[in-house]
Amino acid sequence: MPNTDDFRVKRIQKMLLEMAKGNFFYTIEPSDKNDNIASLVVMLNMVNEEIGAAFIHQGFANAHNTPQCIIQLSLILNSQGKVELVTNGTCSLLACMPKDLIGKQITEFMTEKSQKTWSKKMIKHLKRDRSETVLFLELITNDGLILAQDCQISVYQALDGSGQKILLNSVFFSKGEPFETGLPKNKLKVTKGIKEHKVTLSQEDIEMIREVHDMILNNLDKDLPSLKDLALQMGTNEYKLKYGFKQIYGTTIFRFLTQERLRKSKTLIQHSNLSLKEIAYMNGFKSAAHFSRAFRDKYGKTPTELRG
Amino acid sequence: MRRSHENKYAIYLITEELMHIIYKKDLSIDLKVAQVVVRDRMKLQNGREMPVLCDIRSVRKVNKQARDYLALEGSQWITALAFLIDPPVTDVISSIYVSTQAQSMPTQSFTDKSEALAFLKQHGQL
Repeated sequence: MPNTDDFRVKRIQKMLLEMAKGNFFYTIEPSDKNDNIASLVVMLNMVNEEIGAAFIHQGFANAHNTPQCIIQLSLILNSQGKVELVTNGTCSLLACMPKDLIGKQITEFMTEKSQKTWSKKMIKHLKRDRSETVLFLELITNDGLILAQDCQISVYQALDGSGQKILLNSVFFSKGEPFETGLPKNKLKVTKGIKEHKVTLSQEDIEMIREVHDMILNNLDKDLPSLKDLALQMGTNEYKLKYGFKQIYGTTIFRFLTQERLRKSKTLIQHSNLSLKEIAYMNGFKSAAHFSRAFRDKYGKTPTELRG
Repeated sequence: MRRSHENKYAIYLITEELMHIIYKKDLSIDLKVAQVVVRDRMKLQNGREMPVLCDIRSVRKVNKQARDYLALEGSQWITALAFLIDPPVTDVISSIYVSTQAQSMPTQSFTDKSEALAFLKQHGQL
C-alpha cells in the first residue's frame, strides 16, 4: 500500500497542507524509488526546510534577535516507555488525541531507526537515578508525516515513590548555529535608546542584499570594503545596506563575515595540518589573538583546545 | 601518499587530476554524515586543492543542516565540483543545492560521466 502512487500523492497533499498552515517541521519519508513522485517528495522536503529557515529568520528570530520557541513537544513516560502525560502541543504536532497517546508505548510512534536508537540508548540511562541526554528522534504523526527532532530526554525519580519517569521535550523553531558563549558586550545602552532601524525593502533591495550575502560567503578570505564603498558598489546607500542586511539576516555585515570565517576555519583546524596562525590569516583574520578570541566566543573553545 | 579511502558512507579515489567521491547506496545525509565525509576527504587531500567529481546517484536525502555544512565548511580545497546524477531524484537534490547555496567554485550537474570530467578539466585547473 504505502508504495502506490495514490498513497504517496496523499502524503504530499498532507505535507503541503501543513506548510500552508505555516508548519515547516514535518518531513515525508523518502522512498528508495527513483521516479517522479520520489523526486517531488525530495523536493518538497528540501523546499520545506528552506522556507522554514527563512521564515524563522525573518518572521520571528529577527524581530528581537533571538529565535523564539513556539511549539513544544512534551511527554512524560514511565520507565517502560509508556506515555503518562502529553501536552496539547504534542497532540497537535502528532495529529492525534491525548487518548491515542496515553498508555501507549512511545516507540509505537517512532520510525524503525529511532526505535533502535531509543532502545539502545535508554537502557543505559534508565540504569541511573537521574540522567539527561539529547537524542535525535523521528516521530511519525497520525497522518504519516515525520517529525525529526533533537529531543531532550531526562530520567528522574518521581517524588511520590512511583519510580522512575522519563521526560521527553523538544522545541520547534530554533537556529542551527550555536549561540556565542562569550559575555554579551554593550548590552546595557540605556542612554542610547533602543531605536529599531527599520528600512522598507523593495524586491530589488532584497535581491541586492542577498547578492552581498553571497559575495561575502564567496570571498571570506578577502577584506571587505567599508560599508560606504560597498553600498556605492552595489548602487545603494549605506543606511539601506546596513539596516537592510540586519533586517534580512538578523546580524550585521561584519559580524556575519566573522561568523562565516570562523565556520570555515573550524574545519581547517580539525582536518588540516596548517598552523593556527596560517588558518587565521587565510580566513582574513588580522591577528591570531583576535582569531582565537572570536573563535572561543562562538564555539566555547579556543582553536588550540579544539585541535587538542 | 594514499590514493583511496572508504568509510561507511562513501568511497574516495584520487587520480592524477581529480578526487572522485562515490556515495553509497540509499544514503541519507545528515550533519553527522556530512562531517565524516568532509573530514575524510580533507584527510585524503592533505591540503592539496583539486577538482571533485561527486557521484550522488545513490543519495536519497540531504537535510538542510548537511547542505549548509557541505556548502561552506565542506567546500574547502575544491577547485570545481561536478555532480553525477540520475534523474529525477538526484537531479532535484543537486538543483536545490546549487540554487539555494552560495557556490564558491564552479559547480554543475551531469548525467554523463565524460561530460562531467570535461567540465572539471576545463574549470578545475589550478
